[in-house]
Formats: sequence, C-alpha cells, structure tokens
Amino acid sequence: MPRLRSIKELQGLQRRIRSRLDQRETLITVCAGTACQACGANDVQRVIKRRLIERDLVDRIRLRITGCHGFCEMGPFVMTEPQSAFYPKIDTRDVPRIIDALLADEYVEDLLYRDPTTDAACYRRDDIPFFAKQHRTLLGKNQRLDPIRLFGYVAQGGYESLGRALTEYTPERIIDEIRRAGLRGRGGAGFPTAEKWEMARRQVGVEKYIVCNADEGDPGAYMDRSILEGNPHSVIEGMAIGGLAIGATSGFVFVRQEYPLAVKHLLIALRLAREYGLLGTNILGTGFDFDIDIVKSAGAFVCGEETALIRCIEGTVGEPRQKPPFPTERGISGRPTCINNVETWANIPEIIAVGAEEFARIGTPTSGGTKVFSVVGKIRNTGLVEVSIGTSIKEVVYEIGGGPLDGSKIKAVQIGGPSGGCIPHGEFDLPLSYDSLEKAGAMMGSGGMIVMDDDTCMVDVAKYFMSFLKQESCGKCFTCRKGTQRLWEILDDITRGRGRLEQLDLLEELGGTVADSSMCGLGRSAANPVLSTLRYFRDEYERHIVDKRCDAYVCKELTGAACQAACPVGTEAWRYAALIARGEYEEAYRVIRERNPFPSVCARVCDHKCEQQCLLGTTGQQPVALRALKRFVTDRVDPSVYEPQRHSEPGAADRRVAVVGAGPAGLTAAHGLSLKGYRTTVFEAESRPGGMLISGIPAYRLPRRVLQKEIDALIDENVTLRCGTGLGRDFTIDSLLEGGYEAVFLALGAHSSRRMGIDGEDMAGVYPSIEFLKAWNLRDESLASGKVGVIGGGNTAVDAARVAIRQTGVSEVTIFYRRTRQEMPAYEEEIEGALEEGVKLEQLVTPVGLFGKKRRLAEVQFVANELGEVDAGGRRRPVPKPGSEHRVPLDTLIVAIGEQAASVGPKAGAGIEMAGGAVVVDERTLTTKRPAVFAGGDLATGPNTVIAAIAAGWRAAEVIDRYLRGRDLYQPAEPRLPRAYVEPVAVEEEAQFPAPRAKAPTAPAAQRVHNFDEVEGTVTVEDAAREARRCLRCDLEFTERPQGADELRQAGGGSR
Amino acid sequence: MRTRLSPEDVIRIVDKFDGNQGALISVLEAIQAEYNYLPREALKIVASRTGRSLVDIYGITTFYSGFSLEPRGKHIVSVCTGTACHVRRSVEVLEGFERHLSVKAGETTHDREFSLSTVNCLGACALGPVVVVDGEYHRRVREGDVANVCEHARQLENCVELTNDERIFAVQVSCPHCNRSLMTDGRLLDGYPMVRVTASFRRKHGWLMLSSLYGDYRIESEYEIPPGTVVQLFCPSCHAELKSTRICASCDAPMISLLVKGGGTVQFCSRRGCKEHMLDLVNEDATAV
Repeated sequence: MPRLRSIKELQGLQRRIRSRLDQRETLITVCAGTACQACGANDVQRVIKRRLIERDLVDRIRLRITGCHGFCEMGPFVMTEPQSAFYPKIDTRDVPRIIDALLADEYVEDLLYRDPTTDAACYRRDDIPFFAKQHRTLLGKNQRLDPIRLFGYVAQGGYESLGRALTEYTPERIIDEIRRAGLRGRGGAGFPTAEKWEMARRQVGVEKYIVCNADEGDPGAYMDRSILEGNPHSVIEGMAIGGLAIGATSGFVFVRQEYPLAVKHLLIALRLAREYGLLGTNILGTGFDFDIDIVKSAGAFVCGEETALIRCIEGTVGEPRQKPPFPTERGISGRPTCINNVETWANIPEIIAVGAEEFARIGTPTSGGTKVFSVVGKIRNTGLVEVSIGTSIKEVVYEIGGGPLDGSKIKAVQIGGPSGGCIPHGEFDLPLSYDSLEKAGAMMGSGGMIVMDDDTCMVDVAKYFMSFLKQESCGKCFTCRKGTQRLWEILDDITRGRGRLEQLDLLEELGGTVADSSMCGLGRSAANPVLSTLRYFRDEYERHIVDKRCDAYVCKELTGAACQAACPVGTEAWRYAALIARGEYEEAYRVIRERNPFPSVCARVCDHKCEQQCLLGTTGQQPVALRALKRFVTDRVDPSVYEPQRHSEPGAADRRVAVVGAGPAGLTAAHGLSLKGYRTTVFEAESRPGGMLISGIPAYRLPRRVLQKEIDALIDENVTLRCGTGLGRDFTIDSLLEGGYEAVFLALGAHSSRRMGIDGEDMAGVYPSIEFLKAWNLRDESLASGKVGVIGGGNTAVDAARVAIRQTGVSEVTIFYRRTRQEMPAYEEEIEGALEEGVKLEQLVTPVGLFGKKRRLAEVQFVANELGEVDAGGRRRPVPKPGSEHRVPLDTLIVAIGEQAASVGPKAGAGIEMAGGAVVVDERTLTTKRPAVFAGGDLATGPNTVIAAIAAGWRAAEVIDRYLRGRDLYQPAEPRLPRAYVEPVAVEEEAQFPAPRAKAPTAPAAQRVHNFDEVEGTVTVEDAAREARRCLRCDLEFTERPQGADELRQAGGGSR
Repeated sequence: MRTRLSPEDVIRIVDKFDGNQGALISVLEAIQAEYNYLPREALKIVASRTGRSLVDIYGITTFYSGFSLEPRGKHIVSVCTGTACHVRRSVEVLEGFERHLSVKAGETTHDREFSLSTVNCLGACALGPVVVVDGEYHRRVREGDVANVCEHARQLENCVELTNDERIFAVQVSCPHCNRSLMTDGRLLDGYPMVRVTASFRRKHGWLMLSSLYGDYRIESEYEIPPGTVVQLFCPSCHAELKSTRICASCDAPMISLLVKGGGTVQFCSRRGCKEHMLDLVNEDATAV
C-alpha cells in the first residue's frame, strides 16, 4: 500500500510525479465527459489507443483521458500538447492525421476550430473565444487530469490544501479564510459558507456530518456532474477540510442516480484516497479521521432541499421539514450536519491554496470567486461556462456562448431552473450575481442558463416548469401541492386558447400565495417562472388569450398547422398542397384565392412565412416549397374558377367608403368592402394602381401583366379607382368626410426613403431608392449610369441594385453594407440572384462623405467597420475602425437604408397622430385617433411585406363594416385551425430520402441581366406532385375523416 | 438480469447492507438492478428483514421516481424532457414514441419489449433533444427518427458488435510477472489467436481462453463458469496470479491485469458477466511510486 504517512511524504510524491511528467511533454488529451462519450469520444480514444499500440508509440505520446472540459457543443474533441491544438467534432478517421501532426509538432489545419464569423482557424485552444473569455478556476483543472487516477490531481497541487489545513490551520482559521474569501453557496440560495460552517462548528460534544449535495436536479444544469466526473478529488479534499473545520469525521455524497459516470469516478477516487491515506483514519499521519460514503438519490427533485435530503439519507420518504432547527443543529439522525453543494466544496481547496485575498479578487465585493453556468438551449455553443461572479449575461450569451443559432433571435434566458426566472434580452447587461438576479426576479440557482429564442413560447416555458414542479412537489404543504397544480391548469388553459385576461391576475395572486405559505424552497420559489414571465412577457400571455395566437408556434391548439397559422391572411397552405398532391388544381386555386386577392402576386414575391414555420423545415429537412406550389397552381388555373361569395348588408349599396392608396392594403380593403356591398372609391396619387407592388418591386420579379390582371379583377361595379389624385394635394381627409364618405381607410404605404444625414445628399447622382425605383418602374426613366453604388442591405437595396445592373449605361453595381452578408435583411434568394448577375457586395463599410465635381457625384468616402457589441435587436453593432477611411469613385449612389411613411400632416387633414415614421393605430381595430378614419399596411407598421398589407386590407374591410353597422369594432379572435378534411394520397417510398425540395427553374444570369423578363419559372407537374407529397400533413391531427369517405374512395370519387 | 425471484438473493442483498436503516433506498436500488423492477415478494422480504413496515417501503418506492413496481420492458427508452431539450421540442419526440409504441410515458408495451419513460435532464444538453435507449445516447432526435431508434435497439439485442470497423482490434498480451506471452498458437477466434490462462473458481481448476479482440467478452473454458462467479486467473507458465491492485468499479471484484505488447496493460473484471474493462496505456508505477 502506498499509504502516505505525513505531509512530507505527500510532498515527496508530488515531486516524484512532477519530475516524471516533465519529461513527457508530447500529449494527446481526449475529453470523455458524459456528453462527449454520448457523441463518440469512446470510439475516438479506442482508436487512439490502437494506433499508439500498433505504432509502438506508447512511450512517446502520453494519452490523457479526462472529464468534461465544458465545450460540449464540439464533442468529441481532442487536444494535443505542446501545440495546444484543439480539434473539435472529430471522427475516428481523423485520429491518424492528428497523431502524425503531433509527432511532427504540427497542426492539422483543416481540423482546427474555426471562428464562425471570420472562418479563421484558431491554432491555440486559448484563442477560441469560448475559452478565452472564461475564468476557469474549477473547470480548467478538469482538462489537466485523469479523474480515475490520483497522480494528475496531486501533480496539480492536490491535497496540499488539506495538508496545510491539517498542520498549519486551526478550525477557526479555516472558517475565517472561507469568510474572507467571500464564498457563498453555489447550490442556489447563496448562503455564506463560512457562517454555515461556524454554526456547525459551535455544536459540541456530538458526532457531526459533512454532506456534499450532488442531487443536481435542475433540468438544464450539469456543472456538478462535470466536477464529480472530471475532478472528484477536489470535492473529497474540500469535504475533508470542511470536516476538519467543523469537527466532523464522516461525510456523505448524495448523488443523482442518473449520473452513473460521476458515481463511478467518485467511487474510484474514494478508494484511491483511502489507499493513499488521504481519507480514513489518521490522515497523513496527523491523527485526523475522516471518511466519505456515497448515497444515491432515487429520483426526487425535492431531495435537493437540505431537510428532504437528510430524510432521504436516513432511508425514508424525502419530505422537507420546518426550519429551524437548521441541519447545522439537527441534521442526519438528529446530529449537526453541514450540507454544501459540489461546486462549493470544489472551491474550498482552491481558497486554502491561493489564500482568501487572492480568491476574493475575482467576483463582486459581496461574493468572491467564479460560478459555473450551463449555457444550453437555443445557443450556438452549448456547454459549461465558468466566469467571475458579476459578469454580464450578455457576455456569457454572446461572447462565450456565441449568440443565437443560425437565423434566430435570442429572446430571454431562464436562470436558476424551476425556481429561477426569465430575464428578457433587454436586461442582458445585468451582472450575474446572487443579489442582482434575485432583484430581477430570477435566482442564481445551481447555474442553469437556458437560452430561448423566437421559437420559444414563454407561456409554454412557464407551463413546462409548473408541470415539473407539480409533479415534484412532495405534497406536504397544501398550498404547494394544490397551488402548483392550479397554476399549471391555468397556464394549460391559456396555451389551449381557453384563457381569460382576469386569469393573469389570478396567476399573480396564486403565485404569491404559494410562495408565502409553503415551507421549503421548492414551494417558496415555485411561482418564479410564472411571475417572471408575466413580468417581462405579459404581451405574450395576452396574445394567447386575446388573439388566440402563439407566435412561437409551440402551443398546438393555437397553431394547428403552422403554415396556416404563420400566414397573415390564414391561407390553408397544407390544404392546397394536399389538393395538388391529389391533382385537384382548381380546388387548390379556390383555397388560395379565398384568403388572398393577389394569388399570382404572392406566388412570386411573398416572403412565405408558411415555409419558415413548415414542420419539415423545423425538424431538420427542407421545408415544403409552398410558394412554388402556389405559383404552379396560379399559373395553370384560370382565375374564373373562383366565384367570390358576396353577402351585402341591407342598405350597404348606399354607403360610401374612401380608400386612400391603391396598393395591396387599399385594394384588398376595397375588394372586401365590395363583397359586403359597400361602394368604395380608391384614390391613388400615382398614375397607375399597385402601390409598392408596381413602384417598388421590379418587373423581373413581378411581371406587369400578372399584376395588372389581378388588380383589374378587383375593380368591380362597387369599386371606383381614381389615379393621379393625392391626399393633401388634391383632397383632404376633411373633404372626403364632408363629401359623403362615411369612413376613410388610409393605406398610403411607406414611400419615403430615409436619409443618410451626410452633406451633399441632394447632389445630382445621389438618389433615394424609392425615387430611383419609381422613375424606372412608373416612367421608364433610367437614373443610374456608370459606376453605381447602393447603400443598404434590405430588399429595396437589392431590388435597386438588380434594376440598375439591367439599365443601359451602367458599367458596374456594388452594394455597400455596414454589417456582413449574414446580417443582411434582404431575402437570401434575392442576394444570391444579384450576385449571380454580377452585382458586387462590399461588407462592413459605411459612407461618411460625398464628393462631387461640378455639383455631380464623383466619389464617396467610406469607413470600414468591425462588428462590436450586440445591440438591442440581437445583431452585432458595426463599429467604425479609425483611420480606415477610403474613397470609392462612383457616378451614381442609391440610398436604400429604409423607408417610412410620408407624413400625414395637417395638409391632409387634422387629427392623425404619427410616431416613428408611421401612423398610430390600434393594432386590433386599425382605428386612428380620429373617428371614422382607419389606417393600415406599411403606413401603420412601417415597411412590411405584401401579405401583411393584404391582411391589413381584410381587417380594414371587416372593421369598417362593423363601424358602419354600429357594432363593437373589436371582434374576439378564434384560433385558425385546419377544418376541412382532405383525403391523403398514398405516399410511395421515395427513391431518395430525405426527398429533396423542388426548385423552380430560373433564367440564366448572363441572359437575364440584359432584360426585365421574369427570372423565376414554374415547377413541372411531376415536381409539383412530388413536392406536395413531401408535406407532413399537420392538419390531419385536427380534422376528422367524414363518415362514408371509404365508400367514396372505393367508388373512385375521392381519388385522382 | 434475473427474471425469477430467488428469496436467498434478496436476503443476501439486504444483509449486504447490514441492516443499516439509512441503506433502505440502496437496498431497493440493488434489488431493482437485479430484477429490473421491485417484485412484491422481494419487498415483503425486505420488510421482514429490516423490520420496516411494508407500507413504509411502499411509500418510499412510490415517492422516488427511480423505482418501478411493474416489470419493465427489455428495452428502456428514456426521453429527456429537461428544459434545454424542451425548448428544442422534445415534446414532439416523446409524442412520437408514444404513438409508435402505443404506450404513454411510464408504461411498458404489452409484449414487454419497450418501456417508455421521461427523464428530467441527462446533462447532455448540447445533444438535445436526447433519447437514451438501453444506455445508448441518441442525439438531436426528431419525431421522424423514432421508428429507427426503436429498430436499432432491437437489432443490437444479443448481437456481438464484431464488424470490420476500426474500433475492433486484437491485442497481444503477456504475463506481468514472467513476461511470457499468453497467446495461443493454434486456437483462433475470428482469425486471431486466443489468450490462454489457467482459471480457478469454486474448487475447479482448468484452462480458460479469452478472445484477444479488445472489447469482446467471448471465452472458452474447461469448466462452465456460472454468471456472477469471481474467477482467479493464473499464468500458465509461472503460475503467478494475474490480479491487479485495482478493484472493479461496478462490482467490487478484483481486476485482472495483463501486459499488452506495444505498451500498457489490459484490465478486466474477474467476475463472469461483468463488462468492466480498460486498456490502460498509463504506466502508473512509472509515475506514481
């Protein structure tokens, strides 16, 4: 037995180990934490071992198998020394190359970690932002030692602190050291550790216990496991020092049964510690006795609560009891018991080793040291992150966590598990400390940090936690047992569309009651997730209750088929897809047309929210190409197959409504009012109707005959169109209302380009984008010539660039954007199309000066940017680099940095309030501040999509109808769920799985750049049928097959 | 895993914990590890042996979610419903399993093939949604993967994973005492020579041959070795016992240690049926003592 009989022998052992280790620098480290093992680390280490044995390299390369390093997103990964190289997400096939490179002291370039924004390889592990920005006091040790052996820990100075505490410190001095270090409990509540120890120490004359609480029950938190797995000796040493301080001779580690690897490593570590005389009797020959047992938790969240934990160790049902007496007075079997969490224990040896002052240098004045957070959920770098206490949430989420997953926006983080709360994105500057989090309605908890994005429903999250808590409530306190149940029921009602607004107050009241009248921490904090989401996301609750909408498309009963729910006009996309699969094209057209008076337009230019939410797309495949399917149907079916349903109210024919603006919103409103029998006059300032559809969208995306045909079809006997008459120029709101119109719908759009605010913007050659596009689209007038620059990254910028490159006299076109392509708000396919056509893209530049010759633009001065901090919108802010100014010769500059509504000022008529470049309206009723006047579309929302404008038009028709009939303008909402049943076609096995998404043919770039012919074509009949069959038919969960359908099918009536 | 209850075994488990009051939960865990659930008869034995009332024991078994009073299926499917998995829509995955297996979470299929359960976080959040089937992790599981995951579990059953894959390789071993090779000349398994040692258990003494493929548990022996038996192994040349200083982390039996040609040692548990093993390339003697 290698038993160490004194501190000297420990030091001798350490010296021997260190001297041997120094000779063998060539090292390959494999992370074999649970997460890495789950994604193949065992295979990797196996293949490494094989290679080392077969190549006779065992003596030349040391293999170190460690616990968790925390970068779980990148598993399985290996590191090599002395290169300090980090190879993420490797495959067993990569092993030979890594070993060869290690022997040659080189890097395997293509396997190195690459920065996701710059794509630059990170040669040294510490260059990776995920590691570089952390403060890895605890986790940093994991990578340096093999947890199933003792020597790695001893080489790092392990058990030195115990040795010193045993020989140099009195118990009082140990506790004083912990006090001055400012250590607070890492398990959640943050109770000062030294105070707890002091209370336990003061109990005299009885046996006492030390407990390590490793019942890490917070879903989404796993740092305790990682420490137990990766560095079990640090916990053992911490507990032994604790035992010495309070006068205990035995301890327990209470660990979750779901952590088999942690249990195994702890077991091995305990055995080794005993063998070496670091546990057991007469530790290091000092006469101090201390030993540790493992108790496995059988699965009950409440057992993380200390009094419940004690009962569980005693072998009974784990129900908490009243405190005081505190466990430090009466704990296990009635004896004083000092319970601390894994992370707390692991910090103890560190404090003794570096000294209280050094330890407290990190952190905040009221709490020293670091805290490990598990950053999980909708985040790029899932993993364990250790930072100094007081670091901001923003830094953890964006700098270390790498920000959101592709294409999403972070909305909030939930901190502290079921007992914690949500912190919204706007509060991300909040420092992560016990006090600040509590003030914000969350808590440190064990450090679980779940990141949530747009696809996360906050009501659902609250319901999730409540479901967890009602299940885990032990049932001892009535208010907790029943309260969590009732809270859950209310949340369940809300997510199912049965909620009432007054229930929100009830949630608050009930939450308060449960908190006030429950005995243990579980009940006292049970309402936190509800209260904090209510505090920060009350609007989401109201959306569920009032509008019956779940904007994250999570709550099933409010979503139905996500494609339909996502469409602003509620088009039953699933239905037309199903009909196309059956070959019933005319019926498919009717389905499309019923909700949308511009089917052919939307088949070309819609931003297809339906596809963004398609279940096929959100579950890993490519979404169904719904817009292409719509195009397929609108291209081949004659619109006359659709006969709109008219039901005019009595007397409606005598009532007149004025619509101002003949864009998609205005025309849809006029159409809707016409179907109800009202007489409508549509006033249009330009010479032709269409609004932004004609003046903004170029003909190569939307051919003019297609647009004209659909507009013409809407101008029926009830609708009069008067072009060339502008509000404030030819008439006013007052003149309309005085002239016999009973209601006015303002739908003027947003046609005013924002200005850059640089001197010389009015110089010849510099044009606002809308002016440039209108000149071409309405008057065939070409404003661009020579070298053309476009400022901006939105759809208007790309449209302008693609129009310019088609104009004669233009030599080249460049888009200048202040961020990077990834952040460009324009549709990806449009950017792609522009680049194909030869448009250049300059990223990370901002114009700062305009220089002319003879009062005509000649040069533009730009400054280069780099991406800095994340702004409120979740995108990294461009920061100008000093000294990077440079001039670019340009003949034309088109400014497309956003549009806003032209002012509806006093000239147009009094009483219309504007704010932020839009008319202020009530979102649900579209009413302005002036009676009888309504507004919608871009005018009310700022630049928005065509389909949103159409939706506003429908709503305006509905609301104006109610207004004219003297009804309540507000109409209670109903969830839009699939109703009609469409018999599915039998899907044969596709040759290819997953079946690829259909792609519409496009004209070759070289050809299309010379004309304004339509770029995109239609898919073939075969492709359309195949594409339609890819649909997962979410609707079938909500519809019922009518009786008799079987007979119908047998008779051949229902199938193709 | 046993199917028929043997009262002696239950008594042995209870007694192992020495009538320690606090060990009741560990006793129940050990019984469940043996039978896959807590048979009623076993609980009665526990009650009489420990002096606790059956009601008490029933209370404990129903309080903790880790215990099952019903026999569980051959395959255990655990869908992680931790928060990180939840926000990545594990609910849809769970519903997928419920539909595919026609059971609800917490239930077992009629044919006792699958038990479906949920777990409140496995701490593998980077892989979410996570599903663990018979200890094997499936990462980023989508609703559409459900059928495959179940089928995979069925296929793995009783099948030794011996493919041509690079993870499978043979090691050549020798006695750590006399350094003489333990490889046979003639006896091949899958084309590789077997390892020959002398085995001793329950007063039986005879030859034993082990597969030399690392991670392959197949043996051939003169006498049949009942599962659970701890066997002593000896070098056929120098007759020294091939025991290491380590103890098995799973079952407490001594570990066997053999030298590997090329460096390091291979260690495996001396208990028949225990799969604890390690190919250890670290020469601890050289560093530690």
